[in-house]
Amino acid sequence: MIGQQQSVDCNVKSGTRKAVQDTPSQALSDALVKVATSRDRKAFAYLFEYFAPKIKRFGVKQFGNEAQAMELVQDTMTSVWRKAHLYHHDKGAATTWIYTVMRNASFDALRKMKSNKEEHISEDIWPIIQDSQTDDEGFKDHLQTAQIQKYINKLPPAQRDIVKGVYFQEMSQEQLAEHLNIPVGTVKSRLRLALQKLRAELGDQA
Amino acid sequence: MIKHHPNESLLEQFVEGSLPASISVAIAAHVELCPCCQKKTQALEEAKASQQFSDAAPLALDADMIQLMESIALTDDVDEVHDYIQPTFSYQGRDVQLPRAIANIDRTKFSGVGKVSRARLLLEDGELRSSLLEIEAEGEIPEHTHTGFEITLLLDGDFSDESGEYVPGDFIWQDGRHNHSPRTKSGCLCFTVVSSALHFNKGLSKLLNPIGNLIY
Ligand SMILES: [Zn+2]
Repeated sequence: MIGQQQSVDCNVKSGTRKAVQDTPSQALSDALVKVATSRDRKAFAYLFEYFAPKIKRFGVKQFGNEAQAMELVQDTMTSVWRKAHLYHHDKGAATTWIYTVMRNASFDALRKMKSNKEEHISEDIWPIIQDSQTDDEGFKDHLQTAQIQKYINKLPPAQRDIVKGVYFQEMSQEQLAEHLNIPVGTVKSRLRLALQKLRAELGDQA
Repeated sequence: MIKHHPNESLLEQFVEGSLPASISVAIAAHVELCPCCQKKTQALEEAKASQQFSDAAPLALDADMIQLMESIALTDDVDEVHDYIQPTFSYQGRDVQLPRAIANIDRTKFSGVGKVSRARLLLEDGELRSSLLEIEAEGEIPEHTHTGFEITLLLDGDFSDESGEYVPGDFIWQDGRHNHSPRTKSGCLCFTVVSSALHFNKGLSKLLNPIGNLIY
């Protein structure tokens, strides 16, 4: 642990990632989306068959015994079943998402072994949904008033469609992008601009 | 611009979940503030994931596994996730947003000596103690060395020591080989993780003990 643990630069290595041909990435991602959207048990069985034995192997290495490894399989795959709707396929591979779910479960289990406390601190350290626009969420509650409707109607049409889609029709940014046939990045930037304008209009009320 | 980052091996252990909780909180907070380390941790997560999950051959499930699978998918319930609203933290008349990992952990009230005050995070973690440390304008921490190590993550304001000036987000790891006396011109807020009591110059130890206890 002791030693120079801090570094004065941050270089992201690029081009070193090689595609792993053995991983059926698309099929896994599709299965995870099916679990989320239609509680598809066949898709879950496919994920389970693929991941559970590998999670168990990881658990045996991590904890040194089979019983705890099985607990890790249970914790991880339960989260996969119950939290699949939090997975966004445009943010990364299903394998990466499930790895982070497993890592979190394993971290909490190791802490439980050490401190004998049941806690889920991993959710604070590595939130499963990483939404950089979290501060927009509080804003959502206020959006129902007539006055805000008025301001929304004054927005440029392109921005207005996005705001209405996200807040009133409750579409995801991905769905909207598909619906309007524009990139997700454009949806995000239009939404950001629109919210900035609304905040400016509303001043301190928001 | 942030100049001080956790090094490669620390980030890798962070991504694996093999670091103690307090150090993980410090790195998570840095990563939240540092777009470059965000990219790095994402890349590391991808690499770890393909390491663990790349071989395609599904192993046959035994009876226990099949039973487990069926019991998990018994209900259609999903976990509701509540929107996270970042709370505002006020100190010295300034409003700041604490990184999520720090904000979400319960802590004590602030208590202090002179210009330095701290709130301890209620995070049980062996010998490691983590705190929010607030130093008022023109305040400083007397020169000290460590037997273990000390992580300082500057969250707001200005802060400098013998090695230079720091900006919010800078991740500073000090160990036994260093001695330093950090100070601030206009006040600052830090997150610290300390592994053992600090050691001040012997002759002054009695006088400085309160602050040593405060910081550890
Ligand atoms: Zn960084």
